[in-house]
Amino acid sequence: ATRWSCVVHYPWETVIKAAMRKYPNPMNPNVVGVDVLDRNLDTDGRLHSHRLLSTEWGLPGIVRAILGTGHTRTYVKEHSIVDPEEKKMELYSTNITLTNLVSVDERLVYRPHPDNPEVTVLTQEAIITVKGVSLSSYLEGMMALRMSANARKGWDAIEWIIQNSERENVPLCELY
Amino acid sequence: MLIVLKMNSVGEDCTDLKREYDQCFNRWFAEKFLKEDRSGDPCTEMFKKYQHCVQKAIKEKNIPIDGVEFMGPNKEKPDS
Repeated sequence: ATRWSCVVHYPWETVIKAAMRKYPNPMNPNVVGVDVLDRNLDTDGRLHSHRLLSTEWGLPGIVRAILGTGHTRTYVKEHSIVDPEEKKMELYSTNITLTNLVSVDERLVYRPHPDNPEVTVLTQEAIITVKGVSLSSYLEGMMALRMSANARKGWDAIEWIIQNSERENVPLCELY
Repeated sequence: MLIVLKMNSVGEDCTDLKREYDQCFNRWFAEKFLKEDRSGDPCTEMFKKYQHCVQKAIKEKNIPIDGVEFMGPNKEKPDS
């Protein structure tokens, strides 16, 4: 698993509101569809949302030939849990297509910084499992690096949403 | 200049229903839920209409939403 945390100088509520409206944003042009499949409050007052994301990768022809499919639409399922009392948002995502080839599981947690309630800590973990043909751990390492880069982009996306809501200058998410 | 970007639904015909529901939800989420205001959810009817459309699109496109879960915490759905 690849794990990293960063801090952004916005309070948790602001970040959460932006996270719930994350798409569309210019950092994730591949996400072409987002739907809520289910939403409910549990007995602890936490909001559970189950969402379906569809992504279009525009894969180059040779990759499509290897994958044996002309379908470049992939789907991801997301489950988020928002606890407004504890001020914690968790997001779990997993791919539901191409599962015979690879499994990409991500976990994100947004919480106020323990020492400063005006800022938010985002912790992200990615667990990537390459299946079937045994690709070398080098390749898995490359994918992990890619995930980290994408994770940073994920944060940039949140910042972009905040910026466009509040029109303030946005500091970067500082690695932590 | 404010550029307003909108997201589509997975089912093309459901996009308007989705956007209507999202707007309702985002407002409730920010103004009620996060402020721990437990007064009723105004979006249930909208959600039902939207869901009906999406579930149909998912079946039509054969999107495999069941059977694959994140390797994570318990997935029970408690009573709301």
